[in-house]
Amino acid sequence: MRNRFLIISSLLLTLAAGAFATDFAVIVHPSNTVRAMTLAELGKMFKGKSLTWPTGRNVTLILREPSQPAMKFVIERVMGVGAEEGKNMLTDATRKSAAPVVFVPSDADVVKAVEASPGALGIVDVYNINGGVKVIKIDEKQPFDPGYVLKGH
Amino acid sequence: MKTTSSFERALLMIFMAGISGVVANGQTQKASPVKHASSYVAARDASPVKQDTIPVSTKSAEARRKYEMGMLHYEDLLMIDEGLDFLRDAVKADPHFALGHAMLGFATFDPMEAHRHRALSKQLIANASPDERLQIRWLNGTKDGQIVPAIAAMNDLLSKYPNDKQFANTVAAWLCSNEQAYDRGAEILERLLAKDDTYGPAMNNLAYCYALGGRANLAPAWMEKYIAAMPDQPNPQDSYGEISRMMGNFPAALEHYQAALKISPSFTSSQVGIATTYALMGDEERARAEYLKANEMTKDAPTIMNYRLLWAMTYFRENQIGRGRKAHMEVAEAAHKAGFAVQEAEAHRAMGLFNPDAKGALRDLDAARAVLTEKHVLSSGDHDTELATILQTRAYVAAIAGQNDVAKAALAPLTAIARTSRDNLIQQSYHSANGATLLLEGMYADAVSELQYDPRNPLSLQLLAEAETKAGEPAAGRDALSRLAGINDERVETAYAAPRARAKLSGAPSGSDQPAAQAKPAPVASARSTGFRGGPLQ
Repeated sequence: MRNRFLIISSLLLTLAAGAFATDFAVIVHPSNTVRAMTLAELGKMFKGKSLTWPTGRNVTLILREPSQPAMKFVIERVMGVGAEEGKNMLTDATRKSAAPVVFVPSDADVVKAVEASPGALGIVDVYNINGGVKVIKIDEKQPFDPGYVLKGH
Repeated sequence: MKTTSSFERALLMIFMAGISGVVANGQTQKASPVKHASSYVAARDASPVKQDTIPVSTKSAEARRKYEMGMLHYEDLLMIDEGLDFLRDAVKADPHFALGHAMLGFATFDPMEAHRHRALSKQLIANASPDERLQIRWLNGTKDGQIVPAIAAMNDLLSKYPNDKQFANTVAAWLCSNEQAYDRGAEILERLLAKDDTYGPAMNNLAYCYALGGRANLAPAWMEKYIAAMPDQPNPQDSYGEISRMMGNFPAALEHYQAALKISPSFTSSQVGIATTYALMGDEERARAEYLKANEMTKDAPTIMNYRLLWAMTYFRENQIGRGRKAHMEVAEAAHKAGFAVQEAEAHRAMGLFNPDAKGALRDLDAARAVLTEKHVLSSGDHDTELATILQTRAYVAAIAGQNDVAKAALAPLTAIARTSRDNLIQQSYHSANGATLLLEGMYADAVSELQYDPRNPLSLQLLAEAETKAGEPAAGRDALSRLAGINDERVETAYAAPRARAKLSGAPSGSDQPAAQAKPAPVASARSTGFRGGPLQ
């Protein structure tokens, strides 16, 4: 009766799959004393304008590939610029030594890298965090709090 | 999934019966004969992968046995009531059994029982091993709003016990239903099934994760495997019926529901599934007859009231507004007498949604809201979600009628509720109402952004289509409309908005009598995820 309903285009499915809300968690090494930061402070780190933690340790950003849809949202929200411009800033060769950005293929890799590096800061889908990392608050809120700024859709 | 209220949650219990074997108001399907269970238990025990599970610490052998039986029935056999009884027996056998208390607190439908046993698990946590403590942190955290540490504990355990099938399956079900974290849930189940491709419960959940998460084309293959793995159980057929219906394949849905009833004639979920399928096909007379059969199959009063609401809605579906209002008023009166506040409010809300006169609709919604101010036995969570749903509907009605002040008046109390609640349903209701207000104010891009937070609600999708179009993105608007047109579920919002979307897409005159046969494929499952075993529904 409705055979056409069984033919579901992959394009529609792709669009649909991208339609769900996700909270992104900002994670650091458990030894990091920082418990919270503002979105503006996070943006400075992303732009390479803030290079160290309060302890003096250098910041290393661990992120997924900036071309991934989830990362586009993160870049736009954190850096306050378009995805492409943000990507260019993150991949700019001149910032390599100042505030290195390491791109990894998956959230699991982000978590692993942050677990292993005391100066690292990563951003992952909150459902991928584990006990080896610390989730820090952004603008006084953590994932799932009403009004959390890194809630994407 | 939800614009929803407790009533929708109850409907979703019907929906999620595909996953959990639970029907509205927590009634367990009684259809799994013990002899079938025994054969499945035997098969399961023979599985070579059952090892390396999270330890269970109790000094009582009887408590351990009851706990394991409880988990087997609750998680693997989907015999929820029996599973809960075993868990209750386990903590009776060992009152100091922390994990047993936490699991019972997670699984029970009774909020008082849940609260009591969660509290006991916290008091007794020193009796638990370190890994059990992690499990308790996950179980309790999902209920106490401590979601971030709960997720961390969950992932630590998944990593440490990759062969614990029951735990992985429970976790994945929570992710895909309560949390709408479909990709993560599916990833866990895919890994689990790669190790043991005979574990039926995971096949069921994986199919739902795919269907709900926008990969419905992957679901039927797992449903076929699920049926093959548990051929003498009704739930696989019922689940396949549900998935088929979500995909708009109504003949297949009817076939599978009927197969489930053949295995177990008392499987109420399938009877309701048949009724709703006919309703979606536009055969409202047949749907009413089938809903009445479902009513006769259950003795649970709130469940009967829910089915009566579905029955009454068939009149609205066929555009018999007067008859529909009369039927809903009868349900509202019966619900009032029985003290079922949510069902009473829902009857008024449905009347409001289908009221062609905006002023009349707002009066109906006032009546719905007034129900919640009366003295009822209603948890604060159920009260707030129902109120949020009513306010969201009010903002929608105001948006359609162009009444900005009314929309703002609905948004104000909803904002207050949303400020303090982490409940997905409330948050989505807030974003939808805020989107409605922004749409009225001509801030189309902002409206789009807000409405996108509520992608499964038919009312929000309708507003989103309008906002996208007015924002200069007609293709995106049409996509939203297509998604709305492809929704096939029993919610009142769907009954109202989906036929209009189908009519609009086909260029036909707008009306509420457009059967789902006119719909485009549903790329996304229609219902919002509101609950699961151990979820807020319970």
